[in-house]
Amino acid sequence: MKKNKFFLFIIIFLLALIIPFTHVKAASDNYLQKVKDKGTLVVGTSADYPPYEFTSKENGKTKYVGLDVSIAEKFAKDIGVKLKIRNMNFDSLLVALETHKVDMVIAGMNPTPERKTSVDFSKIYYTGNQYMLINKSDAARFKKIEDFKGKTIGAQTGSLQYSLVKQQMKGNDVKGLAKLNDLVIALQSHKVNGVAMEEATAKAFAENNRTLKVINPGFDIDASQTGSAIGFPKGADSLVEAANKTIDEIKKDNLINKEYIPAAAKNMTTNSKKNSMMNYWTYFAKGIEYTLIITVVSVFFGFVLGTLFALMRLSHNKLVHGLAVSYIEFVRGTPLMVQVMFVYFGIGAVIQSLPALVAGIIAVSLNSAAYVAEVIRSGIESIPSGQTEASRSLGMSQKETYRYIIIPQALKNIWPALGNEFVTLIKESSIVSIIGVTDLMYQMQLVQSATYKGVIPIFIAMVIYFLMTFSLSKVLGYFEGKMKHA
Amino acid sequence: MPNLIEVQNLGKSFGDNEVLKNISENVEKGQVICVIGPSGSGKSTFLRCLNVLEKPSVGKVLFEGNSLTGIGERELNNLREKMGMVFQSFNLFPNMNVIENIKLAPLRVKKMADAEATQQAEKLLERVGLADKAEQYPQSLSGGQQQRVAIARALAMNPEVMLFDEPTSALDPEMVGEVLKVMQDLAESGMTMVVVTHEMGFAKKVADEIWFMADGCIQEKGTPETFFKTPKTARAQDFLSKILN
Ligand SMILES: Nc1ncnc2c1ncn2[C@@H]1O[C@H](COP(=O)(O)OP(=O)(O)O)[C@@H](O)[C@H]1O
Ligand SMILES: [Mg+2]
Repeated sequence: MKKNKFFLFIIIFLLALIIPFTHVKAASDNYLQKVKDKGTLVVGTSADYPPYEFTSKENGKTKYVGLDVSIAEKFAKDIGVKLKIRNMNFDSLLVALETHKVDMVIAGMNPTPERKTSVDFSKIYYTGNQYMLINKSDAARFKKIEDFKGKTIGAQTGSLQYSLVKQQMKGNDVKGLAKLNDLVIALQSHKVNGVAMEEATAKAFAENNRTLKVINPGFDIDASQTGSAIGFPKGADSLVEAANKTIDEIKKDNLINKEYIPAAAKNMTTNSKKNSMMNYWTYFAKGIEYTLIITVVSVFFGFVLGTLFALMRLSHNKLVHGLAVSYIEFVRGTPLMVQVMFVYFGIGAVIQSLPALVAGIIAVSLNSAAYVAEVIRSGIESIPSGQTEASRSLGMSQKETYRYIIIPQALKNIWPALGNEFVTLIKESSIVSIIGVTDLMYQMQLVQSATYKGVIPIFIAMVIYFLMTFSLSKVLGYFEGKMKHA
Repeated sequence: MPNLIEVQNLGKSFGDNEVLKNISENVEKGQVICVIGPSGSGKSTFLRCLNVLEKPSVGKVLFEGNSLTGIGERELNNLREKMGMVFQSFNLFPNMNVIENIKLAPLRVKKMADAEATQQAEKLLERVGLADKAEQYPQSLSGGQQQRVAIARALAMNPEVMLFDEPTSALDPEMVGEVLKVMQDLAESGMTMVVVTHEMGFAKKVADEIWFMADGCIQEKGTPETFFKTPKTARAQDFLSKILN
């Protein structure tokens, strides 16, 4: 019995290991042709990095803009396909490339030697300086790298700035966060004393926040490391070649300085003019919609699957019982965040067209099922054995006993716990924002990027989450009361 | 009279604990048998082996000549519906009202039409003196009333035999009489019954045969007159002297 379980685990883990590799093998270089056959170029980016890439609202619709987006648009046009932008955390970009979620990555990304081991890069298309964003009140204290001695510096995790700080500011603590917006909040609340940032981005933040200031601390910069290039899957030479051709044309006509950056600047100023939260209610509305969709669908499947697992766990068949126990314990013993990423990137490696929303729903449902299964099992076990005995002595089968006697009574007992699970899922589902599902959490981050305001969008999202969970609790409580009197 | 139930070399163990030891007895059609004996002697286990709520470890139980052991789930369900059982703790279904409790098995197992099941349930409720409680939920009834509903529920399957496991032990004294009365009526109507009980008055009056059980064996059996007046075994004498004082 113990042995069985052990083998099961081994098999699951082996599968998990093998799945991602099955594709690497197939990767001969027909990348360009594949993109042309699809008719769309899927581009990964991390849209909180003006002027490279950020979001702008036009006629109530969110648009991805910035110089990187302009380059991607030109590239797509040059190879004769449509462009589709997939927005995600900077950290996830390379993984998305390796698992073929996206065809290319353009995100002001520096082609460092470490990155080159896992992906291929185009030529460098733009080189910017590395600056530091500080609080204006500290302007007298901090001028050069040496002035920061013993202080904490913020930088985006996985970014060039992060390694620069690590290497050239040895006496400092580095605080790494995934989102620039969160780093700026940390700066404003003096959790960090400076945030290392690319020049243009730093200037954009300073322009939109009167309390912030940009300085050039004098990082010692290797020119080959500060330039930005486009990332492609390893071995996608045909795409790299095509991209280099586009970059050559862009450089020849100086398009970046003449057209792309001015266009981005215009978007940034229109954004900052519309910084009132009222202008962004559609963002939050969309977030609420997706959060509710994910929650409701996951509650449904979580309940169905959870019932199944509960019955399996109660089964006398040792294999069936063991399967259910392994599943429940494994899921409850791992973080939802890891499960979400595993489903999206792991299962997504097999089914490449798996949308993030579906992956998120699958992961949250599977997670919820394990918890619901335990709720249902304890609900069923709390029904006295005399009920089963009375039913069986009347000639009813085990199935009929469950259906007419046990389940209806168990449901009444577990209704409050199930309702609680519903409320929990509204909150927990916020995790899916890391794979780019446009739930409330994700939309909140978009508003942060668009308005350069850190705390107010968080506060609004928090109030919305509370209103959702509070009103749901009230509704559930009402039905609970009704059931008691039934 | 033909044998309705035949018990052949029945034994039952829970782990190392041998609770029933090599019991062979018959129950004839129409017979009323009262099983008495000290607590822990295996009476409940014996009764539950008769309809295989507890699976015998060794030996056989035959009902109307058919073995109840070594058969499929489905055949067992079919035979089991002819053996009504009444429990010490009533075990009514709290999620259904009284008449739904009674109608459930006829509807689901016998696939009886709803109107017919209702009519039958109403008749049974009248028979146990609870015609006015049809719509009430079990929680709102007294223990005695609940046990009478449980009897009606078992009777709704038209069983060939009724098994009772200390049906009055959980009742307040003033309610014991109403349940025993229903059981006595049932016995007089010719129902075959196996009753585990501590109600010696009932046993004397209603039983055709007393089975005295101790240490997992039927130590002694006889008519009520001979058993209560002249118990043969020391165990029975000891038991009776304790109970009657
Ligand atoms: N499900 C069970 N598991 C283990 N032991 C049991 C179980 N049911 C009964 N027993 C044991 O069997 C013995 C006889 O119990 P029981 O048949 O209930 O006696 P009685 O009804 O005469 O009081 C007791 O020692 C009891 O502990
Ligand atoms: Mg007992």
